[in-house]
Amino acid sequence: MIPIEWFLYLSAILFTIGVLGVLTRRNGITMFMSIELMINAVNLTFIAYARQLGDLHGLIFVFFVMAIAAAEAAVGLAIFVALFRHRETIDVDQANLMHW
Amino acid sequence: MFEYLIFFTFAAIAVIFAIVVIIHRNTVISALSLVVSFFALAVMYVLLDAPFMAALQVLVYAGAIMVLFLFVIMLLNIQKLPEAPGRPIHQFFAWVGGFWFGFLLLYYISKAAIVADPPEIYASNARDIGLKLFEAYLLPFELVSIMLLAAIVGALVITQRIERSIRPEEGAP
Repeated sequence: MIPIEWFLYLSAILFTIGVLGVLTRRNGITMFMSIELMINAVNLTFIAYARQLGDLHGLIFVFFVMAIAAAEAAVGLAIFVALFRHRETIDVDQANLMHW
Repeated sequence: MFEYLIFFTFAAIAVIFAIVVIIHRNTVISALSLVVSFFALAVMYVLLDAPFMAALQVLVYAGAIMVLFLFVIMLLNIQKLPEAPGRPIHQFFAWVGGFWFGFLLLYYISKAAIVADPPEIYASNARDIGLKLFEAYLLPFELVSIMLLAAIVGALVITQRIERSIRPEEGAP
């Protein structure tokens, strides 16, 4: 059995890559994919700790996280489709109607 | 030893393709790299004795959600949209802050090292998960189904075309 720390390190690295993607890219779809990456890193942590503690609740939580990620992807991509119709761009800096 | 070989191979695949996701300018290649990264994560779930979650990962994430992403990218035809670079100071703080965050994350994980061995017996097949899901977690399960319905309706309402004649200033006949 591989020690659980290795999975936690991998999860931390993937989460950091996701954070960097959200912070540095201006392309809305790529930012969205970075968010999916972060969600998956957290899922990996949940499953690793579920294995460590011998507890199935972590897996149930991953199940719910997946459902919510699906809903979030559907609504978020719909927002980008609507934005593209109005602005011909998915650059998040261009979506500044509510910007002060 | 064989386990370690598999772990490090697929961990490297997951990290490399995740970096491709955030680096590459072509959105389609980003999405496909993310699919590869998710497959590598499914292998991690198998190593953690959660084969059902690995199957869900492949079916729901690599299958459904990423197809949705690819579908939207192809629909909008935005494979190669020119991306204006952000302000340099903004980019600088984003990279420094992101790496600092990752460093702290790794540092505190290494400090809070777990020494206890995980239990030998770990029943995590579909039957056990299903029993928990439909007994203890029945209400959240149903709420999630309602939330998915709301998401479907919301996505349809957001993306529908607004008829020109509805807008008063356009001058309806």
